[in-house]
Amino acid sequence: MLLFKEPDPTIFDPTQSDPGLADTVRTLGAADIFACTQCGKCAAACPLVLTGFPFFNKRLIQTILMGFKELLLNDASIWACQSCNRCTEVCPQGIDSFGIILAARRFAVSEYALPAMAVEGLRSLYETGHAVHLAEAGPPRKKIGLPEKPPTTLASSKALGEVQAIMRRTALAKLGIIPMGPTGESLYGITDKKLW
Amino acid sequence: MRIGFFIGCNVAFNRPDLELAVRFALPRLGVTLEDIEGQSCCPTWGTLPSIDLAGWCALAARNLALAEKKGVDLVTVCSTCYGSLTRARNVILSDAAVQQKVDALLREVGKEYKGTSRARHIVYFLLREVGRERIREATQNCLQGLRIAIQPGCLTLWPRRMCQEGEEDPFHPTALKELCAALGATVPYYSRLLDCCGMGGMRSTDLSKSLILVERKLRSIKEEANPHLIVTGCSSCLLQLDMAQEFLLTRQRIHFKIPVLHYAQLLAICLGADIEKVTAMARLKADYVFARIFG
Ligand code: SF4
Ligand code: SF4
Repeated sequence: MLLFKEPDPTIFDPTQSDPGLADTVRTLGAADIFACTQCGKCAAACPLVLTGFPFFNKRLIQTILMGFKELLLNDASIWACQSCNRCTEVCPQGIDSFGIILAARRFAVSEYALPAMAVEGLRSLYETGHAVHLAEAGPPRKKIGLPEKPPTTLASSKALGEVQAIMRRTALAKLGIIPMGPTGESLYGITDKKLW
Repeated sequence: MRIGFFIGCNVAFNRPDLELAVRFALPRLGVTLEDIEGQSCCPTWGTLPSIDLAGWCALAARNLALAEKKGVDLVTVCSTCYGSLTRARNVILSDAAVQQKVDALLREVGKEYKGTSRARHIVYFLLREVGRERIREATQNCLQGLRIAIQPGCLTLWPRRMCQEGEEDPFHPTALKELCAALGATVPYYSRLLDCCGMGGMRSTDLSKSLILVERKLRSIKEEANPHLIVTGCSSCLLQLDMAQEFLLTRQRIHFKIPVLHYAQLLAICLGADIEKVTAMARLKADYVFARIFG
């Protein structure tokens, strides 16, 4: 039984490739990408392959090495990576294959190719200091005898300000994909006092 | 021994019962649990690590610096927190250019990270610092007769070279098994033991594909181990295995339910915690399992 339909074969035109792509991705945290021999061991270990995502570590690396930028930007599979690190564990070349996935994401983001859920997580991280935050978690915490707010950025506007100051000095600020207020408070006017 | 508590987002907001369990269990085993005020998200993979290498490392280093200032390491029950904090520390200590940027970013917010404090995963922390003997003495074999299927959590296993205190052989993990055995339980092997639970990026990208993984895993657990409980070392596995069973049941894709606990919850229960409270957010209730044991 086929778990998924094989994608139609695509014919690549090497004259359309971007020769600088691999170097760009390398500088984004994939120092060892050129050592890949395309042996495929990382793919054999990858949960994405097991479940039928068409675009996984080995293919991604090949795509980058060959400079097919559009192919990289047009497939969301890299965002389904489980960050499990099986690929890094098994690579016979000692390549940090999961590190390449992260570097490829950084490149995709620089071209504004990122899923909505990533934007949501970033916004939540900036506004609360937590990528996952449930505004309604206070009462259930209290019910079992914990303080409504954990002792995190949620309970300290100074700490949240530090996180925001760091985030404003990253590529995120230049991209402008989430609103980042200049004063340490979010543009939505949410401060830690109103979070619950 | 003193250790800082790195709570993590999913634990603080989705599973505070697990936070309570850690706060209950560790002090009863002679560990002083320190709150690390002002900690933030680790940060998790889909956020800053996917945008900016130095920025990710700086946010992680800020959390580590808060612990360093108190002279402690951080303990976490989440394998993503463990992975992100450990990997970021690894990058900082091995890449001088990133380290420089991180130092500059931290200086701007009045922080400094020297590289001494690190993240520790609770499973290995318990095994190495508390030890099986102490756990055995404190819990008196209370789970004798109970069968447990374990789910270690990917980032506690891989990559071996970045987990300073992980498994000798991550393909044959023993730590969580030994910890469950220290409570008196038996821990049978099942063939999908190493499979990923399907939480994480995959679940938010394509739910149906994520369900393929979790269904296959659950079937293997039921058919081969037929356990009373599933016990995991990772808060994300906890969420996924607990939620997915309900989902698969209503769609008639599985026909059983097995309660899921994090090891810290199981330990807290064995140390006398209120079962209701330390499993308050679990969808699949485990009370009946313990009713048989504790009467
Ligand atoms: S296992 Fe390593 S060398 Fe082989 S294809 Fe994957 S990254 Fe390349
Ligand atoms: S880290 Fe990502 S790419 Fe590597 S094996 Fe896991 S899911 Fe696949």
